[in-house]
Amino acid sequence: MTGEHTKRGSSGINGKRALPRRDVLALASAGAAATLPVFGRPARAAEPVKLGWVGPLSPPGGYAEGLLMKYASAMAADDINKQGGVLGRPIEILYQDTRGMAAEGTAAAERLCVQDKVAAIFGEFHSSVALAEMEVVHKYNVPFLACDVWSQEVTAKGYPQVFRNSITFPLLDVMIGDWIVAAGFKNAALLCEQDDIGLAWRKGVADVLTAHKTPFQLYTADPQATDFTAQVLRLKANNPPFDLFLVLYGEAGAYPMTRESHSLGFAPTANTALFVSGGEAVDPTFWKNVGKAGLWLICENVGLPKSAWNDKTKAFVAAFNAKYKTDPPGSAMEAYDAVWNLAEAIKNSGSTAPEAIIHGLETLHWVGTRGLYTYSTSKDPAWAYHQYMDAPESILQYNAQDQSSFDAPIVWPKKYATVPYLYKKPTA
Amino acid sequence: MLDYFLIQSANGIVIGVIYALIATGLTIIFALLKIVNFAHGELYMMGGYFGYYVITLAGVPPLPAVVAAMAISFAFAVAIERGLLTPLYSPGMERKSDYGILITFGLAVFLRNIAIIIFGPFPLRPPSFFDGDLVLGGLIISYDRLVAAGGGLLILVLLIFFLNRTVWGQALNAVSQSRESASIVGINSERMYMFAFGLGGALAGGAGALVAPIYSLSPSMGLVPDTQAFVIVILGGLGSVSGSIIAGILLGLSENLFIAFLPDPNRGPSYANAFGLFIMMLVLLFRPTGIFGRHHAAME
Repeated sequence: MTGEHTKRGSSGINGKRALPRRDVLALASAGAAATLPVFGRPARAAEPVKLGWVGPLSPPGGYAEGLLMKYASAMAADDINKQGGVLGRPIEILYQDTRGMAAEGTAAAERLCVQDKVAAIFGEFHSSVALAEMEVVHKYNVPFLACDVWSQEVTAKGYPQVFRNSITFPLLDVMIGDWIVAAGFKNAALLCEQDDIGLAWRKGVADVLTAHKTPFQLYTADPQATDFTAQVLRLKANNPPFDLFLVLYGEAGAYPMTRESHSLGFAPTANTALFVSGGEAVDPTFWKNVGKAGLWLICENVGLPKSAWNDKTKAFVAAFNAKYKTDPPGSAMEAYDAVWNLAEAIKNSGSTAPEAIIHGLETLHWVGTRGLYTYSTSKDPAWAYHQYMDAPESILQYNAQDQSSFDAPIVWPKKYATVPYLYKKPTA
Repeated sequence: MLDYFLIQSANGIVIGVIYALIATGLTIIFALLKIVNFAHGELYMMGGYFGYYVITLAGVPPLPAVVAAMAISFAFAVAIERGLLTPLYSPGMERKSDYGILITFGLAVFLRNIAIIIFGPFPLRPPSFFDGDLVLGGLIISYDRLVAAGGGLLILVLLIFFLNRTVWGQALNAVSQSRESASIVGINSERMYMFAFGLGGALAGGAGALVAPIYSLSPSMGLVPDTQAFVIVILGGLGSVSGSIIAGILLGLSENLFIAFLPDPNRGPSYANAFGLFIMMLVLLFRPTGIFGRHHAAME
C-alpha cells in the first residue's frame, strides 16, 4: 500500500506527471493563508440555531411547491439574520428532500432530530409524509410546525410537539361546500386523485354537500394520470347534467384536465363551472399551460387576499417577485411565516429547548404575511389542537386570461369578497 | 352512443400510437444491447423539453421542432451510450444485464432530478401544432391529438421502411440476431449498438415532443409511459418491432375503452394503468412469449 502511494506520488495517477514539490508548497501555503481569517477571529461566531426543513424537492412528490417553500424559507432566514438572528444567534436551515414519500420523511426527520440535533422542524407538503414525520418528532420531543399539509389527522393526533399554520380540510371543505350551496349549484361532479390528499378532500366536501342536500357524484383517478378525455366525456354525457366540476389534482394532471375539459365543451362553460382545488391554479406556470381554458376558472387561495395584505405581505411578495420572477403562492407564505413563527417562539421563551418552543408557539401572537398568528390549544374538535384557526382562505374566479391570482375577483367568503356575485357564468 | 364510442376510440388510438412510438424504441434497444433501458421514460421527457426549447429559444415552428427534438434526442442518447454503456461490449464484463439495469436506473433518477434544476419544477407547454378541434358530427378531437397521432404513425411507417429496406436497418437486424455472424460479414456491431440506442432515444424523444402540447411537460412525465412501454414490449413480444407497434395501439385503445365503458364510472381512471398490467398478465398466461414473440429476442 505504501509502495502504491509512493508510486502515485512520483508519477501521478494514470501516469500523468505529478506536481513539482515547489508547486505543492505554494498550494499548501495558499491553503493555509485562506484559513487565516477563520482562525484569526477574535471570538468564535455564535452557534447558529438549527431548524430543519422537510418537503418534496424531487419526484414523485410535489417538488414544484416544495421548491417554492424552500425559497421562501431561505428568504425568512436571511431576513431574520439581517435583523440580528434570534437570541443573538443566526438561524440556519437544514433542508431535507422527502420526495413525497412517507419512508423518506421518516428518515429525514430521524436525521434532523438525531444527527443534526435541530431545535425544531417545519415544512412538508404531503399529509401522508407529515404523519410519518410526526411519529419521529414525537419520539424525540422535537417541535414540528407543519406548513402545507391539510389532513386533519396531523393535528387531530394531539401530539404536543405538532403545530400547523396552513388551513386544514375541515376548514377548507366547509368554505368550498358553503360556497357551492350559496352559489346555487344543483349537481356537482367531484374528481380527485386517488391518494390520501384527494380522498380526504373529497370526503370533507361530500360531507358538507350531503348536509346541505346538494346532489353530487364522486370520481377518482390515478394520481399519475394525464389523459382525462374519456372521463370528461363521460361526465359531459351525464344525466342530469353537472353544473359544477370540482377537481383536486397535481399540476401534471390538473393542467391537461383543464384543457381537455374546456376543449371538449364541458367546463368552464355557461352550463358547467370548473373549480380546480389544491393550489395548481395559482402556481407560476398556470396560464402558460392552460391558456384560454383558464378563463372563468375558480380556485381557492390559501394566502391572504390582496385586499387584506399588511406591510409584511407586501414586502414579502415584492421581494419574492424580485428574486424569483413569480408571485409567491400561499404555500410559500406559509413557509416564510413558519420560520418567523419559530424564531418568535424561541425569542419569546428565551430558549431553544423543546418545551420552551412549544410554549412559545402556544402563546404566540404575531402578525405575519398571512395575518395574525395564534395557535389553538383547544381539543374540541380534535383537529383544532395547535391549529392556526384563522388561516386565511378564499375563493377566486379569473375573469381575464393571464390574470394574476392576486388581481382575480374574490367571490367567497363575504368578508374578503371583492365582487358582488358568487359566481360569474362564462360568456361566449 | 356511437359518437361517444367513436371519440373514445379515436382518443385511444392517439394514445396508442404514442405508446407504440416509445415502446418501439425500447424494443430496438433491448433487441440490440440486450438491456432493459429503465431511463427510456426520461429520454421521452427530455425529447419533450428539447422540442419546447427549440420552439421558444430558436423560434422554430412546432412541427419542425419535433424533427429537431428527435435529432437532439438521437445525439443525446448516443452520448449516453458512449459514456455509460460501452463497458457492456467488453468480453471481460461479467453480469452485463445487472450492469445495464443499474446504470440505466441510476441514469433515470439523475435525468429526472437534473431536469428539475435545468428546466424548473413547474409544468411547461409549447404552443399547439394547430389551435382548435376537429368536429365531425358528434366526433370531437383536438388538432394537437390528430397531429400527434399522424406524426407518430408517419414516424413508425418510416421506421419500418428503414428497418426492412435499408442496409443500416438490415445491419441492425443482423446484429440483433447474432453479433458474431454480423461481424463475419463486416458489420461493426459496436457502431450498431450506438446507432440502436440513438434511434431508441430519438423515437422516445419524438413521442415526448409530439405529446407536449397535449399533456404539458414536467420532469416526472416519463414515469407512467415508462411502465406502459415495458408492458407493451412484453405484450408485443421481446424484440418484435411490429409487435410493439400493434400492442401499443391495442393497449391505448383498450385502456381508453375500459375507462369509457366500465360500469362504475368512479373506478375507471383509477385503474387504467392497472388494466394494462392485467392484460399483460392474461396474455402471458396463454402466450408466454407475447403476441408476436419468439423464443429468442432478436429484432424483427
